[in-house]
Amino acid sequence: MTMLEGRARLGPAAWLKTASVAAAMTMALATSAWAQGTFRFAMTDEPPHLDVQVTTATLTTLVDMHILETLYTFNSKLEPVPLLAESETVSDDGKTVVIKLREGVPFHNGKEMTAEDVVASLDRWGQYGGRGKVLYDHIQSVEATGDHEVTITFKDVFGPWKNLLAFNNGGPAIMPAEIVGQATAEPLAPEQIIGTGPFSFSEWRPNRYIEVVKFEDYAQPPGAPDGYAGPKDVTLDAIQFIAVPDVGTRVSGVQAGDYDYAELIPGDLYEELSSDDTVVTIRAGIPEYPLVFFNSSDGIFKDNYALRRAVMAAFNNADALRIAVGPEELWDAQGALYREGQFWYNDAGIDSYPSGDLEQAKKLADEAGYNGEPIRFMVSSSYPLHHDTGVVFAQEMRDAGFNVDLQIYDWPTLVNRRAEPGLWDMFETTHGAMPDPILYTFMNDNYPGWWTSPEKEELEAKFTGSTDPEERKQTWADIQKLMYEQVPIIKVGDVFTFDIVSPRIEGLPEQQTMFWPVFWNAHKS
Amino acid sequence: MGIYVLKRLLGAIPTLVIASLLVFAFIHLIPGDPASVMLGDMADAEDIAALRTELGLDRPIWEQYLLWVSHVLQGDLGSSIYFQEPVLRVIGEGAETSAFLALFTMILIIAIGLPAGIVAASFHGTRIDQSLSGLTMLFASIPTFWLGLYLIFTIAVRLNLLPTSGFPSVLESGNLANFRYLILPAITLSAPNSALVIRLVRAGMLDVMREDYVRTARAKGIAEHAVILRHVFRNALIGVVATLGFTFVGLVSEAVVTETVFALPGIGRLVVQSILRRDYPVIQGIILVVIVFYILVNLVVDIVTTWLDPRVKLQ
Repeated sequence: MTMLEGRARLGPAAWLKTASVAAAMTMALATSAWAQGTFRFAMTDEPPHLDVQVTTATLTTLVDMHILETLYTFNSKLEPVPLLAESETVSDDGKTVVIKLREGVPFHNGKEMTAEDVVASLDRWGQYGGRGKVLYDHIQSVEATGDHEVTITFKDVFGPWKNLLAFNNGGPAIMPAEIVGQATAEPLAPEQIIGTGPFSFSEWRPNRYIEVVKFEDYAQPPGAPDGYAGPKDVTLDAIQFIAVPDVGTRVSGVQAGDYDYAELIPGDLYEELSSDDTVVTIRAGIPEYPLVFFNSSDGIFKDNYALRRAVMAAFNNADALRIAVGPEELWDAQGALYREGQFWYNDAGIDSYPSGDLEQAKKLADEAGYNGEPIRFMVSSSYPLHHDTGVVFAQEMRDAGFNVDLQIYDWPTLVNRRAEPGLWDMFETTHGAMPDPILYTFMNDNYPGWWTSPEKEELEAKFTGSTDPEERKQTWADIQKLMYEQVPIIKVGDVFTFDIVSPRIEGLPEQQTMFWPVFWNAHKS
Repeated sequence: MGIYVLKRLLGAIPTLVIASLLVFAFIHLIPGDPASVMLGDMADAEDIAALRTELGLDRPIWEQYLLWVSHVLQGDLGSSIYFQEPVLRVIGEGAETSAFLALFTMILIIAIGLPAGIVAASFHGTRIDQSLSGLTMLFASIPTFWLGLYLIFTIAVRLNLLPTSGFPSVLESGNLANFRYLILPAITLSAPNSALVIRLVRAGMLDVMREDYVRTARAKGIAEHAVILRHVFRNALIGVVATLGFTFVGLVSEAVVTETVFALPGIGRLVVQSILRRDYPVIQGIILVVIVFYILVNLVVDIVTTWLDPRVKLQ
């Protein structure tokens, strides 16, 4: 049989069949492979794991904000308000807090949350969580004093307790006692991440996505929606968190409708995307900021505050931010640790915020006895913001006469090296805004940089030992002033990241004024 | 033949041992450890040390190596530190994407590279050859990340004909339409590789064309297309087959840039991400699998070569 005979034998029925198969394939190509009610979030990478108690990795927090809840959370003014807690009473001496829990709150496994679960969760966090130790250093005991009542007894008065219990990042997420009671320093496996949130964990496909699905039995918190607090209006069936490392692909994906939301778009694209009809830009309302740490424990800067001030004087933060970030709407070279309008804002010490005065830097360096010793400055190539600002600072320091040894590493290497006091003099990192100044890493004596001094310890004790907000606020101003004298860090400035969202999505804020975006109120139109 | 294959496989064992030792040593020499990556910026030295102990990372390197080898011999590549899943499952997730992407890319490379190479050689020195050479140089020099982003921008965003990125599993869903996710990546990846194959086929054929037996064939009055296809092309193919074999392995394991641009969950991106995360078991597992794959493809290439060229004997 020849080919010609074969084709001639195809009758009308066979042609029809072939044509209908082709039509069906075309239809299949035209319709999306994804369910309608699935919200697709393009994130920069996959989180290291989903156990938020033991990591401060932002990617973990982004996912867990939808799954796990804490006793308190933040309202739109970033004040701590009850979430799984219903109310609390604080004893007159401020050392005993009795927290009443909401009743009838189910976990994703169907079990009702009780005081036993809360105690187990807090204890595990206090033992193994980086932030948990900050609170537990001041805690005598945490006990279940009723089915829905937990009593925390403090060793001393500790002002920031409620902020610490409300902060999800590296925070005390409440999970069932039978899971969290067995947990150690090793992160829990994804399927063990069971909470009370509006979504439950569904699956993690390595290198593909993490999926959370709507929790039908979610117990709505009372009150009105306000920041992270109050009821959630969930219409989505599921959220997929998809690692899309290339920023061009994240942008194209939202433009083409393959993703609904993409995070952390570089400043260079801000103006172009702001006038693009296929996406809506969401600028962060609260900033993150690059910080340059000095080694207070070893090397040339140990006890030499004058030399640190000399280096600081050489920094032109506005220039560095202009180069690294771009459009002026996305950064602000200002030296206060909080922004004007925020509760913790003050302007103490910021007269010393530098503007790149090289002559002043040289003069201060001479006075500090600097003789051209090499200064080892570590920055990471993993984060363009660190790298780009770091390169500018190194050049500015050289222009002021400092002998800078700029060392560029990938992030895990930098983290490894900075733990060794003998290996470095300065390094750069970025921190997000914190609900309570005590959560800043430079306030932690054990964090690389190791800032300790009698003046700091005295102010810190005063700061944590008070529950009066106004008194704490004043002490924080004194600490900020001390920071510009002893210079454990240089605050580079405020950087406002921006995300993009598809115009089909409704229910998200025009400006992201909370710590992280959450999608429980997002609707697809 | 069976004995030959067995001998070759046994001969591969020292290669595997040496390679696995080198890989193990090198990845543990890089500073940084998974524990500090997993615990985040706030973790103190004590937390990191506790997790290192739980993960067994505080043991001597030789002990960790022997433990790993003893598990591998039982078919267990260990668990990913990052995903807390068996390494084989993590690699399996990536393997589907990489295998299909490599397959489609190979089809494009062969469909473009072989005919274009034959045409270039047959018409060498003419305008056709010169135009093909120009195009080849162009495609060989376009960076894949640029071509990928350009295709995404024009075909996926502007014309909305194909998806921008990702690849939902076909094996699980049975939905063949998901293959459309691989069209743009395969075009991107095939561009430089097709150019290479065109140059190889052309050069190989030009060499053979100068041989006496080709002149003899022409002198016997055999039709030109028969001379080209039966005598010249078949002999030129021997060198090309070896290159295609290694190109295929390379497509599976080294398509990092294309996989990153198209957000594909493939092996190349997995290995780079795992290095950045210091996920040792996954790095070791992937490299082991890729080496085995190289050895197998090498074997297949040798067998195909004997079939193409009866002068070559398997020994």
